[in-house]
Amino acid sequence: MPELHLKSQPQSSPAVFPPPGSGTGKPLSVTDLRKTYGGVTAVDTVSMEIAGGEFVTFLGSSGSGKTTTLMMIAGFCEPDSGSIVVGGRDVTRLAPQKRGLGFVFQQYLLFPHMTVWENVAFPLQLRGVPKAELRRRVGETLEIAGLSAMARRRPRELSGGQQQRVALCRALVYRPPVILMDEPLGALDKKLRDQLQTEIKRIQQELGLTVIYVTHDQEEALVLSDRIAVMRDGRIDQFDTPRELFERPRTPFVADFLGAANFLPGTVQQRTPEQTLVRLDTGGLLTARPQAGAEGAKVRAAVQPGRLRLCTPGDGFCTGTVETVTYVGTLVRVTVRPAGGADTGVVRLELPAGEAPVLGEQVSLTAHPDDVSVFAVEGGG
Amino acid sequence: MAGSLLAPAPPAPGAATPAAGTGRLHRLRRALSERRTRFGLLNAAPVVVYLLVLFVYPIFSTLLLSLKGEEGGWTLHWYADALQGSNLEVLFTTLRISAETSLLSLVIGFLLAAAVSRLKPLWAGLVMIIVIVPHFISALVRTYGWIILLGERGVVNNALTDLKVPGAPFQMLYNEIGVVIGTTSVMLPYTVLLLYAVMRGIDRRLPAAAASMGAGRLTIFRRVYLPMVAPGLVNAGILCFILCLGYYLTPALMGGPKQTMVASLISEQVMKQNQWNGAAALGIILLLLTFGGLLLLRLIKAVSEAAKNRGIS
Amino acid sequence: MIALRSTLAGRIFLTVASTVILLFLALPIVLIVVTSFGKDAFGAFPPDSWTLGWYKVLFADGSKWPAALSLSALIASLTTVFSLLLGITAATALVRSNLPLRSAVYGLVLAPLVIPQVVIALGLFLLFEPAAMLGSPIAIALGHTVLASPIAVMILMATLKGIDERLEDAAASMGANRLTVARRITLPLAMPGMIAAAVFSFITSFDEFFISQFLSSVDTTTLPVQVFNVLQFDVDPSVTAISAVLIAIAVLALVLVAAVRRLGGAEKQDGLLPTEPAVGLSTGSETS
Repeated sequence: MPELHLKSQPQSSPAVFPPPGSGTGKPLSVTDLRKTYGGVTAVDTVSMEIAGGEFVTFLGSSGSGKTTTLMMIAGFCEPDSGSIVVGGRDVTRLAPQKRGLGFVFQQYLLFPHMTVWENVAFPLQLRGVPKAELRRRVGETLEIAGLSAMARRRPRELSGGQQQRVALCRALVYRPPVILMDEPLGALDKKLRDQLQTEIKRIQQELGLTVIYVTHDQEEALVLSDRIAVMRDGRIDQFDTPRELFERPRTPFVADFLGAANFLPGTVQQRTPEQTLVRLDTGGLLTARPQAGAEGAKVRAAVQPGRLRLCTPGDGFCTGTVETVTYVGTLVRVTVRPAGGADTGVVRLELPAGEAPVLGEQVSLTAHPDDVSVFAVEGGG
Repeated sequence: MAGSLLAPAPPAPGAATPAAGTGRLHRLRRALSERRTRFGLLNAAPVVVYLLVLFVYPIFSTLLLSLKGEEGGWTLHWYADALQGSNLEVLFTTLRISAETSLLSLVIGFLLAAAVSRLKPLWAGLVMIIVIVPHFISALVRTYGWIILLGERGVVNNALTDLKVPGAPFQMLYNEIGVVIGTTSVMLPYTVLLLYAVMRGIDRRLPAAAASMGAGRLTIFRRVYLPMVAPGLVNAGILCFILCLGYYLTPALMGGPKQTMVASLISEQVMKQNQWNGAAALGIILLLLTFGGLLLLRLIKAVSEAAKNRGIS
Repeated sequence: MIALRSTLAGRIFLTVASTVILLFLALPIVLIVVTSFGKDAFGAFPPDSWTLGWYKVLFADGSKWPAALSLSALIASLTTVFSLLLGITAATALVRSNLPLRSAVYGLVLAPLVIPQVVIALGLFLLFEPAAMLGSPIAIALGHTVLASPIAVMILMATLKGIDERLEDAAASMGANRLTVARRITLPLAMPGMIAAAVFSFITSFDEFFISQFLSSVDTTTLPVQVFNVLQFDVDPSVTAISAVLIAIAVLALVLVAAVRRLGGAEKQDGLLPTEPAVGLSTGSETS
């Protein structure tokens, strides 16, 4: 048996399920998944491939289809069409117990009549793991999660954070090819959530687990994930690494949801292979990285607040008056009301505390072209 | 796994189902074919069949028997018999004793429940144990306890005589006093439990709020507390009355000839006089009275609901 | 906590009144237990001298009590089995499925609790008399089940509602099939409730009088019928002792239920006994 501390996937397991990596395909591939409830489409042609050892997050607000997608992968609800393949095996129509996946629930769902140890041992018992082996694996798993001292306790004697750690152990002790997590930290307070995020990430990396994680919390998704699928209205808007999503959002929704971007309306003035020039409605000229969009098209340019800088007047794409200055630790949040042209609302900036302007000061703003995304305005809105 | 609770809830109705109503039959058929529905029908079958055979059918055959003439054919004369002479008196006795007992149980139950609802949970739990445990001890045994207690040389009369209470010892057995005392002790757990459940649900800040507006204690009790407890009182009173109607152990053992209950009469007619038709008619009358009580309960509930809704809109 | 403080007089009144009421409930029972150890079974209270004689009389040769006791125990055991079988299936149907006509089924199940028992007994008499089944322990147990099963259903419904159905989903996600889920998850969690349902079914049957009386024959008299006959016709001092035995059995049964609930990890505020369902009251919103 593989040691739990091995970084690679375990190669053999007495489980009745094919151990991860033994199949021909990737740990998980989902093709054209669809689900409607009484005429309303909850999930619309979702497809993705997930590699071994990858931490993937479905990020979206409620009703975006992220949980439904997860539940279809787990087998708790059946897709109308599409297929789910785990380790080369089509599991689309299989009952959850036959899929061999792991699941961590938001409500922990530990068995109240079993001790911590018994809870973690349960899935191994189901698989007929021999006693000695079972004892070793449960012990190691609890050790990894720092729960060895609690093995004899009952779930109700544990705090919420400890309970969720037990639930995690219970899902990973049998080394499922993919572990699904449904907002596992949703019921915990902020501080505990941060702590457990680090822990989940550490365990995932240490054991090379493949994880699909559902959350509505952007920060959590950014901290944990190798790749994030941003979901909206049952579709994946963009499925990329956090950095790509942040720096190269493909839709205004992604730009807004992840980075709370400033959207500056304007018109494409010039396109070259090196750059796109946008004439903003406020009058200034903004240089963006080369992107699609015909010259003369109405567009919105998106810049994250943290990517804007103050500059000498005349160099920036816009000048305006500082309206508010708020200190948040080492950062200061600043809003600037652009002068001239149409009133398009304030621009938000995040600056190092040392560069804070004073209220009422006239400032000029600039951004690196790589940090500016340009989106066509749909339907002239 | 379509029935899993973990599956996200379908979107709220109203947003969906544009064709509501058109496919009702289709929906019913689909519901019947669903695994969860079949599972439910399968599991409900034993108890339904059992109760149809051993509960509904026997009562139905009692009804038929009560309408059957001695030489075949249908008749109402068993009911006419049941509603005249000594039988009618027994019926009135039953109603009287049931009413007296319900009233006493209600008053005593109200006092105890009110006291318990003011106690700390630990003490409330202990007191409720004293209320509940007797309920699970045979009513026969408890009645026997009362016979010993209330006898001419019983504990109560001895105590009263020692205290030189004028008139002691009192005759408390084989008359209505004994019957009402004994039956009340049997019914009390019901009223206490029902009233306690209601009182526990009352927000105790409301009387305080009334006091802050200058209401006196009597006004608070009459205008704030009582209306909140009233549904519980009605419920407990009617339920207690219904249960008394068919009860006869205590009246039979602690009462005299003037405390014969309908149930007692039924038992006598079956066991001693082989008069099944008459017994059946009495049984059906008892049943109708019970239904009447339940209907009244429903009616009061519906009326108060309607009043409440009117108040809202 | 904002609450109106009661006046001293009010508090004294309520305390005195509730003490008297509790005595009213407890005294007849305490009296029987104490008197059963007294030399003079109908005599002064507390007794002048003590004896175990009445208990010896109970089990002496020629006593009619052992036969009645064992008959009642047999009938109560049969009733427990029937009532549990019906209770488990019915509660599952009512709590864990999409049951068409659910409220009608629920109403039917609870109906025996409000219908006068003498009417049920009369109906059963009319059912079993032509079948020549009067005096049959099976017939009496079948009759008792009509009264015991609603209580079992109510207790088991409360139990099932208390078990998070998603725990079963969680077990399935780890690979447990339906049988394993029932055996390893649902059954152990439902055990305290099942024991409570069994105990209350047993007590219901053991104490039942009307049906037993209507369905009994000369040589099959259950304990309550025997006690009633003795009290009505020839009061015999040993009835005090048998009454004390009945009290002891009921109290032991309740202690058993409380202990199982405690071990099963019932929350403190749930109380020691599943009170409302066991008494046969549905105080919740479930009332149909």
